[in-house]
Amino acid sequence: MNEQMKQILAKLTRQEKARVEEEHRRAYDFDPRDPLFGLTTDELSGPKLSRRSFLRLAAASGGSLSLSHLLGAAGIVLPQAARAVAQSGGHLICGWAGTAEITTLDPAQINQVLQFQVSSNVLSGLTHINADLVAEGDLATDWSVSDDGLVWTFNLREGVTWHNGDPFTAADVVYTYNRSKDPQQSIHSGNLVNVLDVVALDDMTIQLSLGRPQASLLVKTLERSSGRAMTIVSQNAIESMGLQEYGLKPVGTGPFRVTEHQLGQGVVLERFDDYYDPDRPVLDKITIIPIPENEPLAAAIETGDIHLIGGNGVAAELVDRFLANPDLVVDEIPGNGFQSVFVNPWREPMVVEDFNLSVDELKQLNGFKVRLALAKAFDRERFIQRGLFGRGVPAFGTINPAMGFYFDTAINETSEQRFDLEAAQSLLADAGYPNGEGFPTLKLLTTPGGRRQAEVIVDMYRNNLNINIELDVKDFTVLIEDANRMEYDLLRLGSGGDFDPDDGLVDWMLSDSRFNGANRNDADLVDKYGERAFGFFSADRVDELIHEQAVTADPDARKALVQEANQLTSDKLASIFIFHGTEILVHRAEVAVPPAGRIVGLRDLDRVFFN
Amino acid sequence: MRYFVGRVMQALIVVWAVGTLVFFMLRAVPGDPIQALLADVDPRAADAIRAKLGLDQPVWVQYLFWIRNTLSGDLGQSLYGSHQEVSQQIAEAIPRTVSLALVAFLISFTLGLTAGIVSAVKKDSFLDYGFNLAAFLGISMPSFWIGIVLIIVFAVNLRWFPSIGYKPISAGLDQWLRYLILPGLSVGLPFSASIARLTRSAMLEVLGQDYITVARAKGLNEKRVVFRHALRNALIPVVTVMGISLALLFSGSVVVENVFAIKGLGRVLIQSILNRDYPVVQGSILLVAVLLVFMNLAVDMLYRLIDPRITYD
Repeated sequence: MNEQMKQILAKLTRQEKARVEEEHRRAYDFDPRDPLFGLTTDELSGPKLSRRSFLRLAAASGGSLSLSHLLGAAGIVLPQAARAVAQSGGHLICGWAGTAEITTLDPAQINQVLQFQVSSNVLSGLTHINADLVAEGDLATDWSVSDDGLVWTFNLREGVTWHNGDPFTAADVVYTYNRSKDPQQSIHSGNLVNVLDVVALDDMTIQLSLGRPQASLLVKTLERSSGRAMTIVSQNAIESMGLQEYGLKPVGTGPFRVTEHQLGQGVVLERFDDYYDPDRPVLDKITIIPIPENEPLAAAIETGDIHLIGGNGVAAELVDRFLANPDLVVDEIPGNGFQSVFVNPWREPMVVEDFNLSVDELKQLNGFKVRLALAKAFDRERFIQRGLFGRGVPAFGTINPAMGFYFDTAINETSEQRFDLEAAQSLLADAGYPNGEGFPTLKLLTTPGGRRQAEVIVDMYRNNLNINIELDVKDFTVLIEDANRMEYDLLRLGSGGDFDPDDGLVDWMLSDSRFNGANRNDADLVDKYGERAFGFFSADRVDELIHEQAVTADPDARKALVQEANQLTSDKLASIFIFHGTEILVHRAEVAVPPAGRIVGLRDLDRVFFN
Repeated sequence: MRYFVGRVMQALIVVWAVGTLVFFMLRAVPGDPIQALLADVDPRAADAIRAKLGLDQPVWVQYLFWIRNTLSGDLGQSLYGSHQEVSQQIAEAIPRTVSLALVAFLISFTLGLTAGIVSAVKKDSFLDYGFNLAAFLGISMPSFWIGIVLIIVFAVNLRWFPSIGYKPISAGLDQWLRYLILPGLSVGLPFSASIARLTRSAMLEVLGQDYITVARAKGLNEKRVVFRHALRNALIPVVTVMGISLALLFSGSVVVENVFAIKGLGRVLIQSILNRDYPVVQGSILLVAVLLVFMNLAVDMLYRLIDPRITYD
């Protein structure tokens, strides 16, 4: 519990405290043998997951309940929120770190977190995740699902207007769907493969038909920021403004409207007075300036030239400096991504041609012994201290701690990859390289920005296994090409913006995942590695589990499938998982970010206010 | 006149050669813009995008299209984001770059000339040694480092100037200048150092000439000797260098633009090279080539005006 929470608790009246305790009791009041945890199918599958249902699920899964959940369920408005109304207005200036420009705000073209951090303030989805990564209604107020999980009916919010004054209707949702489904118009068409049709039943009701049930529909596909495919856009505005102009200043239904955007020089957002929630936004105006370099970014927030940092994460080396500054607030929470060293299974001496063998059978192969030695010699704690200044937690799979409910807290003790230097050294000896003798020099492919971390890795392997690794530093454009062609020994790559288990499992760990050797069917790869060629990993059981979890709506059943798949990718060494980053929000002390507005990976500024 | 037409023709050929070279070199460099663009999205969209952007055509067809479009004044669109017009990106960047170059030029001109003249006149004095030391420091310190030091001193500690950003001149001359002083100094100081060195040696050479001795022998006061007789002649090489450096300033303040978060021409260029954003690289390099070639031409033409003895025919 943080200091802020303690203060809040101290301010509650006795009745309010009693209500919080009642919510806590209620959350745990269920028969553990009940497969639905005492909830009805209505409560579980629709119209929407209530706070109480969420608390029950969190309690049932053994998670701890946070005070903010309990306060919300007890209907207690946080003191800051009440004060916010009194303190409305103000001009917030933000620095977007590590980027030279915000190339586009058109959801159909957005491919970077730092872009949807802005667009999420301007555009809306049918749903939006809250601070617990649970989907809440955005332009949809509520929804229901058919018994087979294939037909979803959404009631849309009444009285919503676009920034240009047009009324929002079901036709906008249908237009967005048709646009995003078309690969000529949107880069996210792949996210809608399972959504067969969207029809307007009337002006305020739409119906989605799915090819198969999909667990991540609300959190991924229909979500306004991470989803992007179904972030609702205005046909009228696109047609009258043209695509280029819409990409700079999209007309949305969100809390802020874009009034100015010069590529690379900044975006200006102003309060949208007709936003559907009269209490939001609190600020009058926001200016967002891209700041590519670290030192000027730090100087800008220290002087107060900017108030809050968004964009690419704050560089780890700046965090201690910010923590020591009483003018700044540093809020660190688990990040939603994973970082890995991928090991090419087609290159000696790490060759593994069939990951379908059991872990014990795999351990008989010299190639797997080398892979396991590399994984077990990776001292994650030490790497995080040296490479990240302590800003991260060890990773053993793609499922990150920000996902809370799905995260396996025991995996650091159960994974085959856990750090054990003696075991690693003897594995390497077993594979024919005692004390690293005769081990070939491997190349570690990374980007110029990743050089520092890569040096730490090289140094660690030299000390721990007495093997030599050379850096192969290439621009991201070249690195991605090499990665897709499996042209590397070791590859330093990872993922960010993962809100749902699908983001890690479907996108990375399936045999035909987009990142898993995307060109594996190309002639040259087949020539080199044969018909069975795959990317960095392919296991039938893992594929099965991933496909099954994707269509399992029941949270607990899905959790079991997700964790089994995650464990297998860890034990069979789909990659050497090294860390989950932390998400660090830095802002000036005069700025307040209420807990409800602190969503991992995002910079939703509609609740932010000046003290 | 015939000479002038000839020179313009030559310049155009140089620009065409630069453009063509860049066009083919870009495509020979490894790194696929579409794969990078789609790193986080559906690879099935790749073909659609390639076709839309014409990148599925053979390189020579793309080249012919590029020639045709460039001749008709169409520099194309960025491959990224919402495919902004290259000409618009450049048009937005130019005022920022010109502003920065102008301020930097004024700073380097003023500081460099003053230091150079004083050093030459007070040769081997403490002032001369001081300026020499400063000039060596200025030449050896990279401009981005100067920029960061300036930010720490004048923005973070003294709070005299904003740390980052840019305000157009339409926001007011004072605002415009306030935001440009620190970046202007970062670019201008190293330039002023080399101008100071150059001015000093040119002045020393001139001051040793017979006609200066004659002027002094005539009893002219020292001010008149230095400014009227020595400086004018010493300026010829300095002005030449300054002409070239002004052209360099237009394209060369990339790092400083990054430090102060100003999106000028340099940043457009670097960003697009890293992204392999072909049309933007081609467009901005073409512009830089035009600038350099025609500035050189203009300087050559100016020689004739400055010194009527120079003829080209």
